[in-house]
Amino acid sequence: MAGFFSRLFGTDLGEPLVIVSGLPRSGTSMMMKMLEAGGLPILTDSVRTADVDNPKGYYEYERVKDLEKETDKSYVREGRGKALKVISWLLKDLPDDNRYRIIFMRRDLGEVIASQNKMLAHRGEVDQSDDRMMVDAYMNHLASVRILARKRANFEMLEVRYDTAVKDPAAAARLVNSFLAGKLDEAKMREVVDAELYRNRKA
Amino acid sequence: MFGFGKTVGVKIDKDLYARVAKVADVAGYATAEEFVQHILEKEMLHFEDSGNDADIRAKLKGLGYIS
Repeated sequence: MAGFFSRLFGTDLGEPLVIVSGLPRSGTSMMMKMLEAGGLPILTDSVRTADVDNPKGYYEYERVKDLEKETDKSYVREGRGKALKVISWLLKDLPDDNRYRIIFMRRDLGEVIASQNKMLAHRGEVDQSDDRMMVDAYMNHLASVRILARKRANFEMLEVRYDTAVKDPAAAARLVNSFLAGKLDEAKMREVVDAELYRNRKA
Repeated sequence: MFGFGKTVGVKIDKDLYARVAKVADVAGYATAEEFVQHILEKEMLHFEDSGNDADIRAKLKGLGYIS
Protein backbone atom coordinates (compact mmCIF):
# COMPACT_ATOMS: atom_id res chain seq x y z
CA MET A 1 0.00 0.00 0.00
CA ALA A 2 2.80 2.39 0.89
CA GLY A 3 4.36 1.73 -2.52
CA PHE A 4 1.07 2.53 -4.22
CA PHE A 5 0.76 5.91 -2.47
CA SER A 6 4.37 6.82 -3.08
CA ARG A 7 3.93 6.10 -6.79
CA LEU A 8 0.64 8.00 -6.85
CA PHE A 9 2.14 11.11 -5.28
CA GLY A 10 5.40 10.84 -7.13
CA THR A 11 7.54 10.23 -4.07
CA ASP A 12 8.86 6.83 -5.19
CA LEU A 13 12.24 8.19 -6.19
CA GLY A 14 14.24 5.14 -5.21
CA GLU A 15 17.84 5.05 -4.07
CA PRO A 16 19.64 8.37 -4.60
CA LEU A 17 22.21 8.89 -7.33
CA VAL A 18 25.55 10.11 -6.11
CA ILE A 19 26.48 13.02 -8.35
CA VAL A 20 30.06 14.22 -8.45
CA SER A 21 29.99 17.79 -9.67
CA GLY A 22 31.91 21.03 -9.90
CA LEU A 23 33.63 23.06 -12.57
CA PRO A 24 35.81 21.06 -14.96
CA ARG A 25 39.34 20.72 -13.51
CA SER A 26 38.20 21.03 -9.90
CA GLY A 27 38.93 17.45 -8.84
CA THR A 28 35.78 15.67 -9.99
CA SER A 29 37.70 12.76 -11.56
CA MET A 30 39.71 12.33 -8.37
CA MET A 31 36.50 12.15 -6.36
CA MET A 32 35.03 9.61 -8.80
CA LYS A 33 38.16 7.51 -8.33
CA MET A 34 37.82 7.76 -4.56
CA LEU A 35 34.20 6.61 -4.70
CA GLU A 36 35.07 3.72 -7.01
CA ALA A 37 37.90 2.64 -4.71
CA GLY A 38 35.55 2.91 -1.75
CA GLY A 39 33.20 0.39 -3.36
CA LEU A 40 30.51 2.57 -4.95
CA PRO A 41 29.47 1.43 -8.45
CA ILE A 42 30.23 4.02 -11.14
CA LEU A 43 28.08 4.91 -14.14
CA THR A 44 30.58 5.49 -16.93
CA ASP A 45 30.93 4.42 -20.54
CA SER A 46 34.71 5.01 -20.70
CA VAL A 47 34.33 6.74 -24.08
CA ARG A 48 36.64 9.55 -23.02
CA THR A 49 39.88 7.83 -22.19
CA ALA A 50 42.80 8.90 -20.02
CA ASP A 51 45.12 11.53 -21.48
CA VAL A 52 47.77 14.01 -20.39
CA ASP A 53 45.15 16.16 -18.62
CA ASN A 54 43.58 13.28 -16.75
CA PRO A 55 46.13 10.44 -16.63
CA LYS A 56 43.84 8.32 -14.44
CA GLY A 57 40.75 8.69 -16.57
CA TYR A 58 37.71 10.95 -16.78
CA TYR A 59 34.96 8.69 -15.40
CA GLU A 60 32.42 10.29 -17.72
CA TYR A 61 29.16 9.14 -19.20
CA GLU A 62 29.02 10.63 -22.69
CA ARG A 63 25.26 11.07 -22.85
CA VAL A 64 25.33 13.45 -19.88
CA LYS A 65 26.84 16.08 -22.16
CA ASP A 66 23.45 16.33 -23.88
CA LEU A 67 21.43 16.86 -20.69
CA GLU A 68 20.54 20.41 -21.75
CA LYS A 69 19.15 19.29 -25.09
CA GLU A 70 17.68 15.84 -24.56
CA THR A 71 14.06 15.51 -23.56
CA ASP A 72 14.19 11.82 -22.67
CA LYS A 73 16.36 11.69 -19.57
CA SER A 74 14.98 8.44 -18.22
CA TYR A 75 18.44 6.84 -18.58
CA VAL A 76 19.60 8.85 -15.57
CA ARG A 77 17.64 6.41 -13.40
CA GLU A 78 20.21 3.77 -14.29
CA GLY A 79 22.51 5.68 -11.99
CA ARG A 80 20.45 5.11 -8.85
CA GLY A 81 22.78 3.76 -6.20
CA LYS A 82 25.77 4.63 -8.38
CA ALA A 83 28.09 7.59 -8.88
CA LEU A 84 27.66 9.76 -11.96
CA LYS A 85 29.81 12.73 -12.96
CA VAL A 86 27.80 15.80 -13.98
CA ILE A 87 29.56 19.15 -14.30
CA SER A 88 28.05 22.05 -12.38
CA TRP A 89 26.61 23.69 -15.49
CA LEU A 90 24.37 20.69 -16.12
CA LEU A 91 23.03 20.17 -12.58
CA LYS A 92 19.99 22.31 -13.43
CA ASP A 93 19.10 19.83 -16.19
CA LEU A 94 18.93 16.71 -14.01
CA PRO A 95 15.42 15.24 -14.13
CA ASP A 96 13.16 15.55 -11.09
CA ASP A 97 12.28 11.88 -10.81
CA ASN A 98 15.39 10.96 -8.84
CA ARG A 99 17.01 11.95 -5.57
CA TYR A 100 20.56 13.28 -5.77
CA ARG A 101 23.37 13.38 -3.24
CA ILE A 102 25.79 15.82 -4.79
CA ILE A 103 29.46 15.96 -3.89
CA PHE A 104 30.46 19.37 -5.16
CA MET A 105 34.18 19.89 -5.71
CA ARG A 106 35.56 23.38 -5.10
CA ARG A 107 38.96 24.66 -6.13
CA ASP A 108 40.62 28.05 -6.34
CA LEU A 109 39.17 29.65 -9.49
CA GLY A 110 42.55 30.88 -10.67
CA GLU A 111 43.81 27.29 -10.56
CA VAL A 112 40.69 26.00 -12.29
CA ILE A 113 41.03 28.48 -15.14
CA ALA A 114 44.78 27.90 -15.53
CA SER A 115 44.16 24.15 -15.73
CA GLN A 116 41.25 24.61 -18.17
CA ASN A 117 43.41 26.82 -20.39
CA LYS A 118 46.11 24.14 -20.55
CA MET A 119 43.53 21.53 -21.43
CA LEU A 120 42.07 23.74 -24.17
CA ALA A 121 45.58 24.16 -25.61
CA HIS A 122 46.12 20.38 -25.55
CA ARG A 123 42.85 19.96 -27.41
CA GLY A 124 43.89 22.53 -30.01
CA GLU A 125 40.96 24.80 -29.14
CA VAL A 126 41.12 28.56 -29.65
CA ASP A 127 40.17 30.31 -26.41
CA GLN A 128 39.44 34.02 -26.49
CA SER A 129 38.03 34.35 -23.00
CA ASP A 130 39.50 36.79 -20.52
CA ASP A 131 40.65 35.06 -17.34
CA ARG A 132 39.44 37.82 -15.01
CA MET A 133 36.01 37.85 -16.63
CA MET A 134 35.87 34.07 -16.31
CA VAL A 135 36.52 34.33 -12.57
CA ASP A 136 33.50 36.65 -12.24
CA ALA A 137 31.37 34.44 -14.47
CA TYR A 138 32.26 31.32 -12.50
CA MET A 139 31.64 33.07 -9.18
CA ASN A 140 28.14 33.99 -10.31
CA HIS A 141 27.59 30.52 -11.66
CA LEU A 142 28.63 28.91 -8.38
CA ALA A 143 26.23 31.17 -6.47
CA SER A 144 23.41 30.07 -8.75
CA VAL A 145 24.31 26.41 -8.16
CA ARG A 146 24.03 26.92 -4.39
CA ILE A 147 20.64 28.52 -4.81
CA LEU A 148 19.57 25.67 -7.06
CA ALA A 149 20.67 23.13 -4.46
CA ARG A 150 18.52 24.85 -1.85
CA LYS A 151 15.51 25.13 -4.11
CA ARG A 152 15.41 21.55 -5.38
CA ALA A 153 13.91 19.31 -2.70
CA ASN A 154 15.56 16.25 -4.25
CA PHE A 155 19.08 17.75 -4.00
CA GLU A 156 21.44 17.31 -1.04
CA MET A 157 24.84 18.87 -1.52
CA LEU A 158 28.20 18.53 0.19
CA GLU A 159 31.05 20.85 -0.78
CA VAL A 160 34.57 19.44 -0.75
CA ARG A 161 37.64 21.56 -1.39
CA TYR A 162 40.11 19.92 -3.75
CA ASP A 163 43.24 21.33 -2.08
CA THR A 164 42.06 20.23 1.36
CA ALA A 165 41.19 16.77 0.09
CA VAL A 166 44.64 16.35 -1.45
CA LYS A 167 46.28 17.58 1.75
CA ASP A 168 44.21 15.36 4.03
CA PRO A 169 42.67 12.47 2.06
CA ALA A 170 41.66 10.63 5.23
CA ALA A 171 39.52 13.55 6.40
CA ALA A 172 38.00 13.91 2.93
CA ALA A 173 37.20 10.19 2.77
CA ARG A 174 35.62 10.33 6.22
CA LEU A 175 33.50 13.35 5.33
CA VAL A 176 32.28 11.91 2.02
CA ASN A 177 31.60 8.51 3.52
CA SER A 178 29.58 10.09 6.29
CA PHE A 179 27.55 12.05 3.70
CA LEU A 180 26.86 8.79 1.85
CA ALA A 181 25.66 6.86 4.91
CA GLY A 182 29.02 5.33 5.83
CA LYS A 183 29.11 2.25 3.60
CA LEU A 184 32.37 2.96 1.77
CA ASP A 185 35.89 1.74 2.47
CA GLU A 186 37.63 4.92 3.65
CA ALA A 187 41.11 3.36 3.68
CA LYS A 188 40.84 2.48 0.00
CA MET A 189 39.35 5.89 -0.80
CA ARG A 190 42.29 7.78 0.66
CA GLU A 191 44.87 5.50 -0.97
CA VAL A 192 43.93 6.63 -4.48
CA VAL A 193 44.44 10.35 -3.85
CA ASP A 194 47.56 11.27 -5.79
CA ALA A 195 49.02 14.63 -4.76
CA GLU A 196 51.30 14.47 -7.83
CA LEU A 197 48.29 15.24 -10.00
CA TYR A 198 47.69 18.56 -8.24
CA ARG A 199 49.77 20.36 -10.83
CA ASN A 200 48.25 23.80 -11.36
CA ARG A 201 48.76 25.26 -7.93
CA LYS A 202 48.38 28.88 -7.00
CA ALA A 203 51.81 30.36 -6.28
CA MET B 1 30.93 21.88 4.85
CA PHE B 2 34.56 21.04 4.25
CA GLY B 3 37.17 23.78 4.22
CA PHE B 4 34.45 26.30 3.50
CA GLY B 5 35.52 29.94 2.97
CA LYS B 6 36.40 32.37 5.74
CA THR B 7 33.70 34.58 7.18
CA VAL B 8 33.52 38.22 8.20
CA GLY B 9 31.20 39.97 10.62
CA VAL B 10 28.64 42.48 9.38
CA LYS B 11 26.74 44.78 11.75
CA ILE B 12 23.00 45.15 11.26
CA ASP B 13 20.21 46.77 13.26
CA LYS B 14 19.31 44.73 16.34
CA ASP B 15 15.57 44.77 15.68
CA LEU B 16 16.11 43.74 12.09
CA TYR B 17 18.31 40.87 13.26
CA ALA B 18 15.55 39.70 15.62
CA ARG B 19 13.09 39.67 12.71
CA VAL B 20 15.62 37.85 10.52
CA ALA B 21 16.22 35.22 13.21
CA LYS B 22 12.49 34.67 13.61
CA VAL B 23 11.89 34.18 9.89
CA ALA B 24 15.00 32.00 9.54
CA ASP B 25 13.69 29.73 12.28
CA VAL B 26 10.22 29.46 10.73
CA ALA B 27 11.69 28.89 7.26
CA GLY B 28 13.81 26.01 8.52
CA TYR B 29 17.29 27.49 8.24
CA ALA B 30 19.88 26.14 10.66
CA THR B 31 20.94 29.64 11.72
CA ALA B 32 20.08 33.26 11.03
CA GLU B 33 23.52 33.60 9.44
CA GLU B 34 22.71 30.85 6.95
CA PHE B 35 19.48 32.61 6.06
CA VAL B 36 21.23 35.95 5.60
CA GLN B 37 23.87 34.32 3.39
CA HIS B 38 21.16 32.74 1.24
CA ILE B 39 19.29 36.02 0.82
CA LEU B 40 22.47 37.90 -0.02
CA GLU B 41 23.54 35.29 -2.59
CA LYS B 42 20.14 35.59 -4.27
CA GLU B 43 20.17 39.37 -4.23
CA MET B 44 23.73 39.59 -5.51
CA LEU B 45 22.64 37.87 -8.68
CA HIS B 46 20.43 40.88 -9.47
CA PHE B 47 23.39 43.21 -9.21
CA GLU B 48 26.10 41.15 -10.82
CA ASP B 49 26.37 40.74 -14.52
CA SER B 50 24.78 37.45 -15.45
CA GLY B 51 25.48 37.94 -19.14
CA ASN B 52 28.57 35.74 -19.01
CA ASP B 53 26.73 32.51 -19.71
CA ALA B 54 27.96 32.57 -23.32
CA ASP B 55 31.58 32.70 -22.10
CA ILE B 56 31.08 29.74 -19.80
CA ARG B 57 29.24 27.77 -22.46
CA ALA B 58 32.00 28.38 -25.02
CA LYS B 59 34.65 27.30 -22.54
CA LEU B 60 32.83 24.13 -21.51
CA LYS B 61 32.19 23.22 -25.12
CA GLY B 62 35.86 23.69 -25.96
CA LEU B 63 36.80 21.48 -23.03
CA GLY B 64 34.40 18.79 -24.28
CA TYR B 65 32.02 18.84 -21.31
CA ILE B 66 28.86 19.91 -23.13
CA SER B 67 27.68 19.18 -26.64
